[in-house]
This record gives sequence, structure tokens and C-alpha cells, in this order.
Amino acid sequence: MEQLPRIESGIAGLDTLLNGGLVAGSSYIIQGRPGSGKTIFANQIAFHHAAHGGRVLFATLLSETHERLFQFLSTLSFFDRERIGREMQFVSAFDTLQSEGLDEVVKLLRREISRQKASVLIVDGVLNARSRADTAIDTKKFIAELQGHAAFAGCTVLFLTSARLDDGSPEHTMVDGVIELGDDLTGARSVRRLNLRKTRGSGAISGLHEFEITENGIVIYPRLEAVLGRPSVPDDLDLGRTSTGVDDVDRLIGGGLQKGSSTLLIGPSGSGKTSLGISFVSQATVDEPGLIFGFYESEERLKRKASALGFGLAQKIEDGAVHVLWQPTTERLLDALGHRLLNAVRQKNIKRVLIDSLGGIARAAVRSNRVTEFFTALIGELRAMGVTVIATWEIRDMFDSNAQAPALELSSIFDNLILLRFIEDQTQLRRILTVIKVRDSEYDPSFHEMVLNQDGIRLNAPGEPSARQLEASRPRLGG
Amino acid sequence: MTTIMVVDDEFLVADVLAFALEDEGYMVVRASNGRKGLDVFQRDRPALVITDFMMPVMNGLEFASAIKSRPESADLPIILISGAQADIARQNGHLFAAVFDKPFRVEEIIATVISFVGRPH
Repeated sequence: MEQLPRIESGIAGLDTLLNGGLVAGSSYIIQGRPGSGKTIFANQIAFHHAAHGGRVLFATLLSETHERLFQFLSTLSFFDRERIGREMQFVSAFDTLQSEGLDEVVKLLRREISRQKASVLIVDGVLNARSRADTAIDTKKFIAELQGHAAFAGCTVLFLTSARLDDGSPEHTMVDGVIELGDDLTGARSVRRLNLRKTRGSGAISGLHEFEITENGIVIYPRLEAVLGRPSVPDDLDLGRTSTGVDDVDRLIGGGLQKGSSTLLIGPSGSGKTSLGISFVSQATVDEPGLIFGFYESEERLKRKASALGFGLAQKIEDGAVHVLWQPTTERLLDALGHRLLNAVRQKNIKRVLIDSLGGIARAAVRSNRVTEFFTALIGELRAMGVTVIATWEIRDMFDSNAQAPALELSSIFDNLILLRFIEDQTQLRRILTVIKVRDSEYDPSFHEMVLNQDGIRLNAPGEPSARQLEASRPRLGG
Repeated sequence: MTTIMVVDDEFLVADVLAFALEDEGYMVVRASNGRKGLDVFQRDRPALVITDFMMPVMNGLEFASAIKSRPESADLPIILISGAQADIARQNGHLFAAVFDKPFRVEEIIATVISFVGRPH
């Protein structure tokens, strides 16, 4: 199978989606309403291309001046004024379009491509070309001719338009790729998304992907489940066991957590999920470091919590055995979180991860129907990298059996499930730990009281609270 | 009537300059690139030329060189208005009577025009 030569886009995430970059000599339509980021998108590619030895011709069919464009681009890190007029030419074909028509614009640009020896041509304002054309067929001809000339010169073309061209439009049939920039509105929140609608000769990852516009330009977060449909490294089955840091819990689950396994701790607020998680992550060493991917409790609060239980988390953090990635409570993007977690794991060679909590990630989802696929991909990739994961899931009710347990599919992603809850015992509130599932291993499913004190975490033998009492407070999974 | 020529592919920039010069009383002729500029130059014989740098077909530098290479227009004042390439222009200072960075102040350009060719008559 032949691989077509590519032009690296310089847009984070896009080259992954396009299987290496734009196909050299091909043509693309970049469409989106005004403000959707088309101009930044195209210029980011242009400046990246120029910075790597390419030559760019940027032709506008719009009346807006280039100087305004430069002023606005100058706030972005990729912008480099030095390149303009050298490797990059910005020319206006507006006047030619108005006074002489589309055919003359094609002639003008054809000459400019060879005059500038351009390897990338960007045509901004194809919508204007459309309104100038007498029929839709004329724009089709315009695009066809222009890309014909460009391809002959080995030049890649991006046509920018704010028109909402649909799949059947003649323009779409002419080009090799269509990239649409838009946004998703959910409630008061708007999330930018990119849609690869057509990608010829490319093996691209199509569909919707979230993106942000940062001071470095556009950053795309490829849909995690699409990129990691299969884990990128093979699943290594038996890696041995690793401790939760609580001997009693290790004993219940058959001698510790299987390395590379994932465990979900389910329970209401205050039931000890985070504490058990800290115990687990505090077992990390400099050689096999751990990561806390947290949402609600800051590093300081985690350290205090750990120190109250006698865990040396602060020291571990100082030694570099434990890293903390705390997610600020600003608006988050689901895939951005996933990539951030996986990147941290790869970069620091992390071997154990505490995700506190899974709900913090799930709440970032604009489309809740893909949460299960997302977590399947995320947990699968972590497993494939040999990372042992504990994630927490908060349920709302403290005693009620109809507690908001995670959806059944979510439970099935995890190898192990441990339930934490409260019972009222006379005048005391007790924490009860129950192992619900351990994959491929014997385990003790009986109820144990979990005791947290300055010596750490231990379990009391089952017996005290009545089974009936506990049964009443057991949430049903799959709610 | 003193004629000024404005050469710019960006019609908005050309418009702004042309209107301001016309308000001042000059006659203004326009072209959207250097090649067309040479044709218009031949026909209308302007007293001063204001040109952009980055244009299709023939850029401001090539255009100015072409005008300066003709004996009859070797001394014609040419004003360059330019965005990022002002340094390229200044390296070719012999071609240009003045260089303005974009964005420019129209009044300053008008004042410069007056200083070279006098008020319109």
C-alpha cells in the first residue's frame, strides 16, 4: 500500500486525525461560520509550513485588509511577521474578481503560484467567488481549475468559506477533503468542534473532535475512543500483584490488585474513597511513580488528608514518586482531559493512577452518550501501558439502596468493583467496605467495617452489623 | 491638475488613500498591481506614486525599479506603504522617497505628498 506524501499541519491533534498531515498537492475546503476559527486554522498551517521551508501564497477574495488580519494574528504565538513578504505572500484578488470575474482570478492565482513557487495556496472567501458566479457550476469550475493548476505545481490548496456547503454541493465533490469547524451548544456552554467530513486518500479519523483556540493557536483533541479504538500497545496479561497499601483489603481481593488492572471505588461523599485511593498511590516509588488525577481536592488538601492517616504522601510528592495533576474547575473538554492524563502517564512513566473522580471527567462530556466508549478507551489504554488504576465514583445517597450507582456499562469496564457505604449502628456511623467483583481471581465478598485513623486504614472482621441492615443499604448497580 | 497614482491590490486601502487625496484636491488614478500600475503610469503620467509592497503579478519593489529605470521618471517621488516588509523597503531606500508602515495615518501620508509635489493646482 502506498503512502501519499504529507504536509505537516502544525496543528496539535490534526496530523493524528489526518494520518500524518494534509496530502501534498491535494485540495481541501475549510468551512465554518464567521468566528469559527477558519482563519487561524489556515494561518497556523501556513506559518508552520513556511517555518519548515515551504512557501505560501495567501489570496483573499474578501475586502478585509491584510493588515487587520496581521494585527489579529499577532496575538498568537505562531505568527511571525518576518516571514511575510518573504516565504509568505498575502495578495488580494478582490479587485480582479470584482472587475474581471472568476476566470481572471484563476489566471492571476495560477501565475502567482509559479511566481511565488508556492507549495501551499490558501484562498480566503470562496463564498464571494460563489456569489460572483452566475451559477453553482461556475464555482465548481473555479475550484476545479484552480486546484488543477495547483496540483500540477505540487501545491496544496485550502479553500476557506463561511458558506454552509452540504455534502452534495458541487464544491465538495471537487475537493479531496472537507474540514468543518463549528460548535456544540449544551445549556449555556459552547464547545468548539471540528468535523472531518471528507478525507480522500488518507485513512483519517473522521467524525467530530473537540478543539480549543489557545494563544498557540488551535489545539484539537481527537476523540479518544476513535484514536485508541485498539490500545496502542498489546495487553500484557499477567503482570503480578501490587498492594493497595491496606493489607486487609489486599487479603480480601486475593493478594493485592493485579498490575494493569482497574478498580472502581463506589461510595458516597466521606465514605473513604479518596483515602483508600491515597493509600494506593502512596505505594508508588521513584522507579514506578504514581499520579493523582484529581478534580475536587487540591494538592494541599490531599497532603493533609494523607498525613492524618499516616501516609507519607507529601514526601512521595517531594521525591517525585507521586505526581499530582489537579484539574481546575473551569470548563473542561472530555478528550482534553483524557489526552492530558495519558500524556502525563507516558511522559513520567507512571505505573499507578488515582482518578478522583471519574465523575469529574464524565461531567466534561458534552455528549453523554459517548462517555462509556470514552472510558473504555481510556482505561484500556492505561491497562495496555501496564498502569494500575483506581478511580472513584461518588454516589449521592448515603444509605438508600436506590443510590445513583454508575451505569452498568461503566461498571463492566472495570476489572474490580469495591463498594463503600455508611451504616447507622446505634449512635455511630460506620463505614462498610464490600468487594463486589474481582476479575479472574478469588475474593472475599463479605462486609467489613473500614476504620480510618492516624495509623492508616484497616478492616474489622465481619459480623457486627446485621446482614439485613446492610442489604438495605446496598445500591443496585446498573441504575 | 496634479495627478497621484495609488497602487494596491487591497481595494480598501486604495480607497481610503484615494478618497483622502481627492478630498485634498488631487486627481487620483489607481491600479491593483505593479504591472497594471505601469500601464496606468504610461497613460496618466502622475506626479507622485504611492505603492503597496506585497501585490500579485508585480510587487512594489519591482514596480518602483521599473519606474526608476526610465530616464523620464528617474526622479519621480515614490512612497511605499508596507506592512511587514518595511525593512526590505528601507534596504532599497534609493527607490523610495518615503516609507510608511501599515497601519498608517492618512494625514501623515497627505502631508508627505504635499511636501513632495505641493498642494494641488
